[in-house]
Amino acid sequence: MNRKQREIRHKILSIIIVAVIGTWCLAPLAWIFVTSIKPLGTEYRIPVEYWPDQPTLENYRTVLGERFRIQRSILNSVIVSSGSVIGTLTLATLSAYAIARLKFKYRFHTLYMMQIAGMIPPIVVIAPTFVMMRSLGLLRTYWAMILPNMVYALPLSSFLIASYFANVPFELEDAAKIDGAGTFRTIFRIVLPIAAPGIFSAGVLAFLGSWGEFMLANTVSIGSAAVETVPVAIQSLSRAFNLQWAWVAAGTMVTITPILIAVLIFQRVVVTGLSAGGVK
Amino acid sequence: MTSNKIETRIALALALPAVSGLLIFNYYPIVQSFIYSFFDLDFTTDWLNAPFIGLQNYAAVMASDQFWYTFLFTTGFTIVAVTLDISLGMAFALATFYVPKSMRGILRAFIIVPWAIPKVIQASMWRWMLNSDVGPIGDLLVRIGLVDEPPLFLAERVLAMGSIVAAYTWKGASIAAFFLMGGLALIPGEVRESAIVDGASSIRRFFSITLPIVMPTVFVALLYRSQDALRVFDVVYGLTGGGPGTSTDTLSSFAYNAYFRFAQFGRASTYAVVTFILIGAVGTFYISRVRRNFSFKE
Repeated sequence: MNRKQREIRHKILSIIIVAVIGTWCLAPLAWIFVTSIKPLGTEYRIPVEYWPDQPTLENYRTVLGERFRIQRSILNSVIVSSGSVIGTLTLATLSAYAIARLKFKYRFHTLYMMQIAGMIPPIVVIAPTFVMMRSLGLLRTYWAMILPNMVYALPLSSFLIASYFANVPFELEDAAKIDGAGTFRTIFRIVLPIAAPGIFSAGVLAFLGSWGEFMLANTVSIGSAAVETVPVAIQSLSRAFNLQWAWVAAGTMVTITPILIAVLIFQRVVVTGLSAGGVK
Repeated sequence: MTSNKIETRIALALALPAVSGLLIFNYYPIVQSFIYSFFDLDFTTDWLNAPFIGLQNYAAVMASDQFWYTFLFTTGFTIVAVTLDISLGMAFALATFYVPKSMRGILRAFIIVPWAIPKVIQASMWRWMLNSDVGPIGDLLVRIGLVDEPPLFLAERVLAMGSIVAAYTWKGASIAAFFLMGGLALIPGEVRESAIVDGASSIRRFFSITLPIVMPTVFVALLYRSQDALRVFDVVYGLTGGGPGTSTDTLSSFAYNAYFRFAQFGRASTYAVVTFILIGAVGTFYISRVRRNFSFKE
């Protein structure tokens, strides 16, 4: 086989591979899209229609309309995830600085405490957390999701940020101090900018983590549409309207499109974080 | 005060907020769950006024067939799902290095899609895909002549188990793929290319050159994925709800129903604690293996 033939063969094989993996990854999404543009009622028609006779956007109008206002769940998710991320990044940056750059007695205790916390299954904390939120009167509020999610993202975030902090040469910090910069100035001007990619990547992953979180959100929102996040809203929609799947499909499309776009935009950051930290 | 002491104080002050958070939302609830599991708590969480029954919840759970069934299903699911996750993930990751640069971006974009969708939404998407009347999977199986009738994917026990594995792996393979890409990227380009160019022996080269180099990454991926699979909840809750009956309930989903549907807090906590111990065992193994790799260790 000469070089040219080999190249052609490589190209054809590559296209097949991309097509197969693409089908596996996109088929469920494609099917939801097709369902979402079927006129209500025709999604149960037999034989199965792989493309509707009369595509319609009516289902989108319904789920965005007065009855469902599915977009409210997107707003709720944005509030919960943003709140959590702000908290996570603040706590994680402070503790990561201590872990990575300061020598102190309880350094490894702190590190282990973080790592072990990252392995705790949600089911073992859910009931006491629910009871805690009930006693604090925080059920059916954003806080009941923001506060725990902020902590759930800490282990991965502080690990990511700490590994960036660890790469800042100590000489650089010393040099800044010799030049007369104070501790805070040194941290803000020298250390934080170098760790910025780590902080950003931790932020994106923490945001996505709390965006997808279901068990806690489902438990503390107890059916209150005013605070339901996207996963909870779609889960209850799909259970309640099992016979109107065209609606469910439209709701799903509306709620996952923003996050899909965001993930594709931040792809590089997400991938770095994923391969560095190992993610749920 | 010596500078060492000052440094310790600053460090503790910096770590304190994070540590308090962990104590409140991770460690305190675990202790509380352990406490619940020693009390008779039906329809109440007021353990201070509930009868202390020692290990009776554990004894009852250990004596029940339901527990052992759920336990075995959870661990069996973990073994199957993680094997599939890692194998498919490895195939995907290798594919991103195999295809020409011009296709790499689009392939990675495809692979990231399942990862971006929340698990419980993914479960409902699969519920619709696997619908026995109008689901495309059953329909296509009939069309290509593999079966006469669309299979009842979610109503028959074994099929329901398989469906959960499929839905779980849809996302799991993508996570594993990105994880393993990190490992594969460490392999020197020439080694990888020499393995690619010679098509005939590429499988052998994978096992004798590539795999040994990425083994540490595979190992870490295995442990992360097993911990995730052992606590699987969203996919089960969203796809089968544990059904038919409770035959596809995992430890987490069974405990969740016991907590919030049947309000048996004591018994549910026992299941939760067992889940924790199981995952903790895997985690301890993991920590002892990778401890030396923390990059910021002295």
